[in-house]
Amino acid sequence: MPTAQTLRLEIERTLENRFPAALTSMTRSIYEVAPTGVASVDAVLEGGLPVGAICEVTGPESSGRTSLTLAFLAGRTEAGQVCAWVDADDAFDPESAAASGVDLKQLLWVRCRNECGLARAKPWTRLDQALRATDLLLQAGGFAAIVLDLGNMEPQHAMRIPLATWFRFRQAADRTRCSLLVLGKTAYAQSSAAVVLESAPFQLESAGGSVWRGSRFEMRHGRQRSTSLPAGARKPPASTWFASSVWDGGRRA
Amino acid sequence: MSSELYASIHAAEFPAQALLRLRTDLRAQPVSVLDGPTLQETVCSLNRHAVRIGAVPCMTRLEAEGINGLHLLPRSKEVETAARAVLMEYAAKFSPRIERVREGTECALALDITGTERLFGPPEELASRLRDEMATAGFRVSIATSANFHTARMKSAATRGITIIPEGEEAPALERLPLASLALTKDHEETFELWGVRTLGELGALPEVELVKRFGTAASTWRAMAHGTARHTFQPIEPAFALKEFYEFETPVEQIDSLLFIGARMIDNLVSRAAGRALSLASLDIGLELEGGRSHHLVIHPAVPSVDRKFLLKLLQLEIDAHPPDAAVVSLTLSAEAGSSHKLQLGLFAPQMPEPSRLDVTLARLKAIVGEDRIGSPVLEDTHRPGSFRMARFVVNAKPSAAPIDESPRMALRRVRPPRQIQVAMHAMEPIAFIDGDNRFEITANYGPWRTNGCWWSQDAWDAEEWDILATDRTGVAVGCLLVLDRLRNAWRLEAFYD
Repeated sequence: MPTAQTLRLEIERTLENRFPAALTSMTRSIYEVAPTGVASVDAVLEGGLPVGAICEVTGPESSGRTSLTLAFLAGRTEAGQVCAWVDADDAFDPESAAASGVDLKQLLWVRCRNECGLARAKPWTRLDQALRATDLLLQAGGFAAIVLDLGNMEPQHAMRIPLATWFRFRQAADRTRCSLLVLGKTAYAQSSAAVVLESAPFQLESAGGSVWRGSRFEMRHGRQRSTSLPAGARKPPASTWFASSVWDGGRRA
Repeated sequence: MSSELYASIHAAEFPAQALLRLRTDLRAQPVSVLDGPTLQETVCSLNRHAVRIGAVPCMTRLEAEGINGLHLLPRSKEVETAARAVLMEYAAKFSPRIERVREGTECALALDITGTERLFGPPEELASRLRDEMATAGFRVSIATSANFHTARMKSAATRGITIIPEGEEAPALERLPLASLALTKDHEETFELWGVRTLGELGALPEVELVKRFGTAASTWRAMAHGTARHTFQPIEPAFALKEFYEFETPVEQIDSLLFIGARMIDNLVSRAAGRALSLASLDIGLELEGGRSHHLVIHPAVPSVDRKFLLKLLQLEIDAHPPDAAVVSLTLSAEAGSSHKLQLGLFAPQMPEPSRLDVTLARLKAIVGEDRIGSPVLEDTHRPGSFRMARFVVNAKPSAAPIDESPRMALRRVRPPRQIQVAMHAMEPIAFIDGDNRFEITANYGPWRTNGCWWSQDAWDAEEWDILATDRTGVAVGCLLVLDRLRNAWRLEAFYD
């Protein structure tokens, strides 16, 4: 009489052309994550953004990309870690960062400049500066998170970043255990990105029609390379989250 | 038995040695140093390679230029002063009591090494270590040790290498030395020449009374010196500890690489000297004298005091790259401020931090890319003026890890720098549409106006109305933005987007 072990091996051998190791449970890797500071987004991301990987936060303007990123940085700097913001468009607002809880002393801000001094100058120089600065910071190591802010960059320019650059960034981020967040209108890093979050505006909230109290945003993940969910399990649906305005004293969950 | 013991260090051809100390590329080349007024320059110092190919002291420039392969360098008193300080600094590692014996085209120091046997071993060993140490600093010296000060001094000046003179053997050690060792006047030298007295041994053999009758009481001292019995009151000097290196180029230098070649050697020396006192370099002051009499000044402040030569050289390179001199460089001065060596307590559970020295280099490179004023930590100004901040130097601070604050996320702004001028359509005192360049936005919700003003007493006065706007463009895409009406200029600006 065949044992259960023998039967399992026979079944697996029969099905191996279609399902390799059909009855053997697959080993799962545990990926280190860092919480974003937004509970509903963390639920979608199974704990937070991956450490030592590239994460892309994409969406149009006013879709909550920057708010979510600052919330993530607030958690990192609060934990005593050092972060960097590589600002290709010089759009970073220190007041918003401070209001979000980011410890500005723990933040290195790199402001790319227009060589020509013209506001509408060709963006290649700024993009090139941003990539070189990100590369240097990743190679230096010690930063818990680096934000490559291409939020205002037109996709036709940012899409020209070579794949080799993203591969290099991915390897450097992995080696230095740094979360590289790329803010953009669309995803640029392609297969090098561990997580792609798609952000969209959802609803505006006001108080009495006279004060803007905050906005509700929708967040869904476009791609996630590593997951702790078993194969076939359904991922949670997209979540919504609320960001209150700086002047709103009320706290939300 | 005498309890005194002296070591004398003699660096011959000091002008050449001082220049070649930083020019390692010329050490194996024949080099002569020229001194004197223009068009009347003569060779005042030369190295042994120059002697081999026929150069001699006091040659004119024209004669020296006629020798194939001979490098001619102008004499620099500043370089010699800096080199003399370095020589003294290295000598001070063996004894704190140092007397300056001779200056000029030679540099000689006498060290009181009485009682140093237990530290450095017998005189032979001390002399050997002293010579090695001087070689590290870039000097070729001759050394003599003796219980008699003058004996050690004269012997080191007249012979090469190391000479150990045991006590009681002074007179035999000195008997072959020329009379020039006594630094006699020209008249006295001529008299002795006429008498046929050429060495100290011959002078010492003369009767003392007869000598004094003819030359005065000084002759008694000469005779005692020739016997190695002359007494001397030691006059120690206390050299100030100054980490400074100077080099004057023979021709003005335009290439940064050439500057760095000398700069690297200077940093090596500064680091060695600081490390000899268990110190590090806390800051580095770079002085460049330029053609036309102008000067260029740069300062490097590493995050932590360092003795890492490569790291300091990289900082020097990046600093000069970022602030290049606008004319050819005539001379380079490096002055360092000493600081205590960096100690870092690491912890298993401490958050990861950038390594300070590596971060310094990274920041310097980033400054070269984006500009010095465009990198750092933002610091909010103590004012109500919207969007006011300044950039501070980024410094890594070990901050205790704290639990994240349970606070709801805040809506962030993305600034438009510089703010864009826009045209706004108003209805019933409220904005209803605005045009930004080629795009027209219809305003679906507006919140405001929020008025701020300040500094009315100065030229920096501001008076503005802020409007929080929700608008849609022609394609139906909604954006939240911050519009500002500058009431002083009556102009609308697009300040930021909510994101």
